[in-house]
Amino acid sequence: MSSREPLWFCHECHAEMRPLMVPDPACASCRGSFVERMEDPANDPRDFAHFHNADMDDGMPPGMDTFLLSLQTLIDRGIAEGREQTSRVSPEDGISGNRFTFQIRTGSSQSSIGGRSGNGGTEPIPTMSEFLRRGPAGGGRNGRGTITGPLMAQYLMALLGRDGLLGAFGDPAMEGRMGDYVFNQEALDQIITQLMENSNAHRPVPATEEIINNLPREVLEQQSPLLERDCAVCKEQFKLETEDPDEQLVITLPCKHPFHEPCIIPWLKSSGTCPVCRHALVPQPEHHPPGTTPSPGPNSRHDRSPSPSSRNGGRSSFRDNGQDTSGIFQSLFGSFVGGGHNSGSSSGRSNSNSSSAPQGRGNGHLPGGWEELD
Amino acid sequence: MASISARRLSKELTEIKNEGCPVGINLVKADDFSTWLFTIEVMGESLYQGEKYTLQFRFDSSYPISSPAVQFVVGDGHTSPVHPHVYSNGHICASILGNEWSPVLSVVAVCVTLQSMLASCKKKERPPDNDRYVRNAPDNPKKTRFHYDDDTV
Repeated sequence: MSSREPLWFCHECHAEMRPLMVPDPACASCRGSFVERMEDPANDPRDFAHFHNADMDDGMPPGMDTFLLSLQTLIDRGIAEGREQTSRVSPEDGISGNRFTFQIRTGSSQSSIGGRSGNGGTEPIPTMSEFLRRGPAGGGRNGRGTITGPLMAQYLMALLGRDGLLGAFGDPAMEGRMGDYVFNQEALDQIITQLMENSNAHRPVPATEEIINNLPREVLEQQSPLLERDCAVCKEQFKLETEDPDEQLVITLPCKHPFHEPCIIPWLKSSGTCPVCRHALVPQPEHHPPGTTPSPGPNSRHDRSPSPSSRNGGRSSFRDNGQDTSGIFQSLFGSFVGGGHNSGSSSGRSNSNSSSAPQGRGNGHLPGGWEELD
Repeated sequence: MASISARRLSKELTEIKNEGCPVGINLVKADDFSTWLFTIEVMGESLYQGEKYTLQFRFDSSYPISSPAVQFVVGDGHTSPVHPHVYSNGHICASILGNEWSPVLSVVAVCVTLQSMLASCKKKERPPDNDRYVRNAPDNPKKTRFHYDDDTV
């Protein structure tokens, strides 16, 4: 090889070129992304392309014929649909007209998909929308825009999932790539799942070591007023005689809720909040600071807090009690005694049951997304 | 010494046995500290009148720091209630079973919450993404991080 910068080969135009780096290499003439750097003379992509054009005889796997036939069915259908959507033309014109070709020889037989053969590479590659709009009566533009295999695959994919993709293909800057598409629902689900897994936005934030270490601890003593209270985590009363001396060590959170040290530490390491009142030791996602009334807009995604008509009839809605020492039980059971929530939209559970809740529905807003943890 | 989880669960169980469950909720099985079963019915007027569902709780050793895995039992004559937050595989999208779990909550509190969730339902329908979810759902609903973005039901 010379010291010159190596050339690149575009598998879509079947031509050497210098790529655009946008930022991934793309063919300068067709903007296709199926490009390869020609570095190794032993593996010259031009030979590969040549091989594909000329020497397919032994390369075709069994069953390829059937595959190609079904491909043709799909393509034909796609074209018919495209035609309906764009212009009404008489189909008879199309038979000898401007259709693309997908021609492959296998041994003695020859499969030809489409109608015309073309000499790819020299003509401009049609965009997806041109390709579809052209229809069979493309008349004056005969010969223009035969498309090559990889591009064909892209177009096929766009045909299969045409909603929303068509536009993107019309814009050369957004030329699609095979890797940008999924082929079935399952793959789509997997991708959505993956995307969601990456969002940590709503996980509770643990308290830091420093915060935990700085919490006030006291050892239980006779006469301590704590001895009449319970640890809300283990639900046991604080007592002096315990098997485990650690259980005589009490941590009182800034919101004044006391816990056994061994009960509260693991919790704080998973969520830096008070289990009783959700007082946040570290800022939590979507935590509504005290004093602000969260907006109860039915469209506010992920807005779990604001209204007594919230999910589960309001009883699982804790946030509005963020700083309230009556805390969780009020939000769990407050609805039984006529409210206690700070939303103005309705006052009690019976109300919300009968009338107020459903504004949010029918807004095209999904009630429960989900994602899988690992 | 028994683990915190076993102590806490045995305390809850003792309370259930001594004081009984709230109306409409009945303990079916609690032979160990790993899986408990309850039946749950909605009392009074509701879309689920006369229907009875079985609720399964699975606990791990970090209960009550981590939430129990709670779902409706499906199959073998059991179905899950048709509800916008209940998937046909029995998984439940409820914030208190995920992000908003707190160790202050208990098995009975969860039962009551779910009972109320059913009681306040306006329309029996599955979540809109039911099919997609059920196709890919993990066995344990705790592996799903639900997005609780509808506060109207």
